[in-house]
Amino acid sequence: MRRILAIARKEFIHIMRDKRMLGVILIMPLLQLFLYAYALSFDIKHLPTAALDLDHTEQSRQYISALQQSNYFTVNRVLNNYGQVDGIFKSNQDQVVVVVGSGFGRDTTAGRAGAVQVLVDGSDANSAQLGQTYSGALSRVYGAKIAIAQYEAKGASVSNVGALTGNTRVWYNPEGKSAAYFIPGLIVVLVTMVTVLQTANTLVKEKEMGTYEQLIVSPISRIELMVGKIAPWALIGAAEILIISLIGIVVFGIPFRGSVLLLAVASLLYVICTLALGLIISARATSVEAANQLGSLVSFLPTFMLSGYIFPLSSLPWVLQFLSYLYPARYFMVVTRTVFLKGGGLSVLWPQLAALAVFAVLMTTFAAFLYRERA
Amino acid sequence: MTVVSQDTELAIDARGLSKEFRSVLAVDDISLEVPRGRVFGLIGPDGAGKSTLIRMLCTVLEPTSGDAFVFGNSVVSNPHEVKPRIGYMSQAFSLYGDLTVAENLDFFAELRGVPKSEMAARSARLLEFSGLTEFASRQAQFLSGGMKQKLALAATLISEPDLLFLDEPTTGVDPVSRREFWRIISDLHRHGITVFVATPYMDEADRCDEIAFMTQGRIILRDTPAGMRRRVPGRVIEVAVDRYREAMTLVRTLPFIRSVEVSGELLRMLVDQDACEEDCEVALRSTLEGAGFSVGSIHPAATDLEMAFATLIPAAGELLDTSDEEILAVAE
Repeated sequence: MRRILAIARKEFIHIMRDKRMLGVILIMPLLQLFLYAYALSFDIKHLPTAALDLDHTEQSRQYISALQQSNYFTVNRVLNNYGQVDGIFKSNQDQVVVVVGSGFGRDTTAGRAGAVQVLVDGSDANSAQLGQTYSGALSRVYGAKIAIAQYEAKGASVSNVGALTGNTRVWYNPEGKSAAYFIPGLIVVLVTMVTVLQTANTLVKEKEMGTYEQLIVSPISRIELMVGKIAPWALIGAAEILIISLIGIVVFGIPFRGSVLLLAVASLLYVICTLALGLIISARATSVEAANQLGSLVSFLPTFMLSGYIFPLSSLPWVLQFLSYLYPARYFMVVTRTVFLKGGGLSVLWPQLAALAVFAVLMTTFAAFLYRERA
Repeated sequence: MTVVSQDTELAIDARGLSKEFRSVLAVDDISLEVPRGRVFGLIGPDGAGKSTLIRMLCTVLEPTSGDAFVFGNSVVSNPHEVKPRIGYMSQAFSLYGDLTVAENLDFFAELRGVPKSEMAARSARLLEFSGLTEFASRQAQFLSGGMKQKLALAATLISEPDLLFLDEPTTGVDPVSRREFWRIISDLHRHGITVFVATPYMDEADRCDEIAFMTQGRIILRDTPAGMRRRVPGRVIEVAVDRYREAMTLVRTLPFIRSVEVSGELLRMLVDQDACEEDCEVALRSTLEGAGFSVGSIHPAATDLEMAFATLIPAAGELLDTSDEEILAVAE
C-alpha cells in the first residue's frame, strides 16, 4: 500500500509540474467540447426559408409568422407560385420552402388538419433532415397535421415530388438538439484519448529516463506498480467525466435523466479499460513517440468509428461491426447516452456493464502479463 | 519474515553467467566470487559486457544461461530476496528530473520500505554526506553532473543496502567530484558495505581491493591492484630525452624493452632485466647518446595499472580508455 501511494504521489508530481501535460489534460478536452458542441454544431438555427402561401388567409399568415418566430427558420421571402421554388433551390437562396396549401385556413378553422407541405433542399443531407424534423415539430406545436414532401434539388422537378404524410416523432430529444446526442458521446471520446495516451507514455518514459531499472531493483510487485500508475489517472479520468457532464448540463442544457451512481460505476470500469490499454501499449512500445502514435491510433480512431459516436453501428460493414464488439467504447457509449437521455437503469444497462467489467478484468490482466519485471 | 537464505560469506557468487543479445554474446560464461566487504572493480573497454554483467547481478536482466547468487539468493529464481539487499546505480542518470532532491530521496525511501521513523534522519544524513543539503528543494534536472551522481548514490543508499552495484558512476564527472565520490565509497566500505564497481578509469581501479579485467564478455584477469602490477615482467623506468618521439622509435627496436609510451615529456618504458647483458640503464643511455640524442636523467618509476594491462593483455591497450597518447607493446 505504501509503495502504491509512493508511485501515485510521484505521478501526481509529474503531472502537476508538466505544464504541457496539464494543458493536454485540462484545456484540450474543454476546447474540443466547445468546438464539437458549439462551432461544429449539427443544430441548425435560422434556416433560410421561403414560404409559399397558397391560402392567403389570416390562419396561413399566422402559421408563417409562427415559423419565423421559432428561431429555427428565417423566412426570407414569401413566394406566389410553385414555379419559383426550383429557382430558389438552384440558386441556393433558401434551403427550405414551406408551402401552406389552399384551404389551410378553412380546414384549421373547421378543426381539421390543415395541409402544409415542406420542401427541403436535399443536397445538404444534414440540413434536409433537420429541416424536416423542425418543421414537423413546429407543425405539431401548431397543432396541424402536415404533409411532408422531400424535394431533391438536383435534377428533380417539382412534378416528381410526391406528397407524403409524415408524422415523425423523435423521442428523448424532441427538438433534435445535437448537443444532447453529442455530449454524452463526447465524454467517451475525450476520456479515452486522455487516459490511453497518458498511460501509454508512462512506462516508456521511465524506460527512456533510465528510472525503470531503479523500479526493477526495488522490491515492488508489478501489480503495485500498475495500480500506483493507474490510480492518479483514474481520478483524473473521473474528474474529466464529471466536468464534461456538468458543462453539458449547465451550458448546453442536456438532460440528465438516469442514475449518477450507475454512470460512476460504468465510468470507473471504462477508465480501467482504457488505462489498461495504455499500459499494454506502454509495456511494448520502444519509444515515447511510438507510444504516442500507437496510443492515438488505438484510442482516437476506434472511439470515433467503432463506438457509435458518429456513425450508427448498424450502418457499418459487418467486419467493423464485429470489431466494435471488441472495443469497450461501444458499451460505454450506450451507457452514457442511456443514462443522460433516457434515464435507463441497471435493468436495461446490465449487459453493457457486464461487458465493461469483463473487459476491465481481461485488459488489466493482459497488461500485467505484458509488463515484465526485467528490462 | 524468515528468509531461507543462510548468509554466506560471499556477496556475489556467479556461476556460468551468460547473456546473449540477438546471437551476440555480451557476457560469456562468467563465474565470479566476490567475498563480503570488498570493493571490487570491474574494468575493461567499452562493449566488454560490464554493464550487462552488472544488470544481471542486480536482477534487471535475466541471464540467458547460468545463475548468480547474491548473499545466497538466486537472481534468477529468487530476485525478490535479492532486491531489498542491493542498491544499483546505473550508468545514465536514473532519477526523476522533475522531482526535487528531497522528493527523489523520499520516493525511493518509500519504495524500498525505509521505516517511516527513520526516513527523515536518513535523508538528512545522506544529504549532508553528499553535500546536497542546501539543494534539497531543487529539481534534480537542474543539478550539475557531479551533484546528480551524488544524488543518485544517495538515493541508492537510502535503503542501506549491503551490496552496492555502481556502473561507471563517475563518467562525465569533474575530477574534484570524482575524488569526493570515492571518499564516500571508502566511507561505505569502512561500514562493511560490499561495493561492485565498473569503471573505465585506472586510478579508480587502483582504489579497489580487487579488480577483474573484462573483455569480449569474459573476465580474463583477476587480482589485487598490487598483484596486477607484480605480474608485469620487468620494471619501469622513465627517461628524459630530447626529441622523444624520434627517440621512442629507436627505443622500441631494443630487445630488452618490452613496451614504451610517452608520459608527459618523458619516455616511460618497461624493461626486461634478463635481456640486458649489463645494466639496462647504461645500455639505454649509450644507445641513445650514440644516436645523437641528449639524454637527461633515467630513473625507476612505479608500474601503473595502465601499463600492467597493456603488457598483460595483448591487444588490450588499443581498447583501453587511455589518457596517455600511446601504449605500444613490443612483441618478444
